[in-house]
Amino acid sequence: MRRVFQTISWISLAVTVLAPLLFYTDTLALEQSKTILLIATLGWFVHTPLWMGRETP
Amino acid sequence: MNVDNQETSEPVMPEPAGAGTPSDEYEREPVPQKALLGFKSFLGMYAGEHCAGTELMIGPLFVAAGVSAFDLVCGLVLGNLLAVLSWTFLAAPIATRARLTLYYQLEKICGRKLVTLYNLANGVMFCFLAGSMITVSATAVGVWVNFDMPSLNDRYPNSIGWVLAVMGVGGLIAIVAAYGYQSVVKFANIAAPWMVLVFLAFGIVALRQFVTANDSEVDSLGDFWELATTSIWKGGEPLPGQTKFTFWHVTFFAWFCNMAMHVGMSDLTIFRFAKKSWYGIATSSGMYVGHFMAWLAASLMYALQLRLDPGNTDVLPGPMAYKACGVAGLLCVIVAGWTTANPTIYRAGLAFQAIVPKSSRFVVTLVTGGIATVAGMFPGIAMQMLGFVALYGLVLMPMGAVIFVDFWLSRKLGFQDRYAERAGLGFNWAAALTWFLTLGVCVYLVKSKAWDVEIYFVGLPGWFVAVSLYIVLSRMYQRKI
Repeated sequence: MRRVFQTISWISLAVTVLAPLLFYTDTLALEQSKTILLIATLGWFVHTPLWMGRETP
Repeated sequence: MNVDNQETSEPVMPEPAGAGTPSDEYEREPVPQKALLGFKSFLGMYAGEHCAGTELMIGPLFVAAGVSAFDLVCGLVLGNLLAVLSWTFLAAPIATRARLTLYYQLEKICGRKLVTLYNLANGVMFCFLAGSMITVSATAVGVWVNFDMPSLNDRYPNSIGWVLAVMGVGGLIAIVAAYGYQSVVKFANIAAPWMVLVFLAFGIVALRQFVTANDSEVDSLGDFWELATTSIWKGGEPLPGQTKFTFWHVTFFAWFCNMAMHVGMSDLTIFRFAKKSWYGIATSSGMYVGHFMAWLAASLMYALQLRLDPGNTDVLPGPMAYKACGVAGLLCVIVAGWTTANPTIYRAGLAFQAIVPKSSRFVVTLVTGGIATVAGMFPGIAMQMLGFVALYGLVLMPMGAVIFVDFWLSRKLGFQDRYAERAGLGFNWAAALTWFLTLGVCVYLVKSKAWDVEIYFVGLPGWFVAVSLYIVLSRMYQRKI
């Protein structure tokens, strides 16, 4: 599971940058970008505590 | 700006964002070989810790100071480089040789009583800094609740709503600091990478909106520079009540905003864990992520606000972040202020507790949080952040000069190092007078009409004054005793 949580965390982090970049290139509207950013934020904060700072089994 | 790793009577290592956390062990002994940490630990720690709530105030204040694009970008590049070099060539070499905390090293040189006084100064500055972080977080409340928020030139609380918002945010931060300091540290470590990227998102969104507002296109670096020089950081007169910032202001501000930590030697406590002194260059992660990217991103948001409504000069991170990144942006403002105010209050509490050792840690932290909350109600501290940060570094700088002289020059110049320890002194007058007289000279240089040195620049001559004073006074003092 650790690998899964880590993957979701890193994807969330990537989306945190991707959403504003897509807004920059006019691919997304600002409101869409904000919503995706919030989802990515939730993804990061929900999954990261499950592996970061914890001992590797 | 990092302000949460200053030394106190009970030194606590700031927990880095990355792995390999140095602990708060070895407070009164050199760090042993087995406890030393690699380069990456410092890289992660500095990157995370210098991307804090205060960046959201400092970036906009550059724009309010009428800075031009060249002065800002080049000033930050040079100033941050000088800061990195100061860590690498001043703090880290002593830290990796002595491997002691700042407190313990100062105690050996200055004596316990003088260190207590240093702690008091440190604690007071911490309270004001934590207050400004609470101010930053409280601006987020104004997005949801309608009340009068402070404007750029407000010094005092301007509405009941504002006072209540600060009380709510500050009270929570103080309670959490008193109860669950370690859990907030863990949360801060988790939040750090996300926070850095949200700062980047602020800049990207604001730049796009700037391009749209100007009805221009940015397809190359040249286009961006054109936009930057003509619309974003146009230069010219500062906003009313603000000091005009030139290239040299930006350079010296970037160099000295963490003066307490490099020239002032507070980060001896951190670099005592470094295997090599060149690990000092790891601070470049904090400087060029936090003090370059984050400052530019925050200043972009404010420049956009002025572009869309020139009459709206309010520096309110909450509303600005919400406009750019929605709820995630707002969370970033709250988290950035909270995670940096929390350890600052905790460590201010430790500093005060050193003065009254029998007092309860819980009560002291709570009272300190209360003081910081009251300070946070006064927006003058956050709105004058550029000047306040310069003052903060200046107050603690002379003790760094004392350590420098003690470590490198004392024996060569014919006087004893670690004099308080050798002579059994509780109060080394040579160090105390160096501190007070240096600050006196600096205040004179700033206040005197003949010299009229701005506070951003006075740290440099001040350091040489402190070095000279400690040499002369130590020779006199040690001969007398």
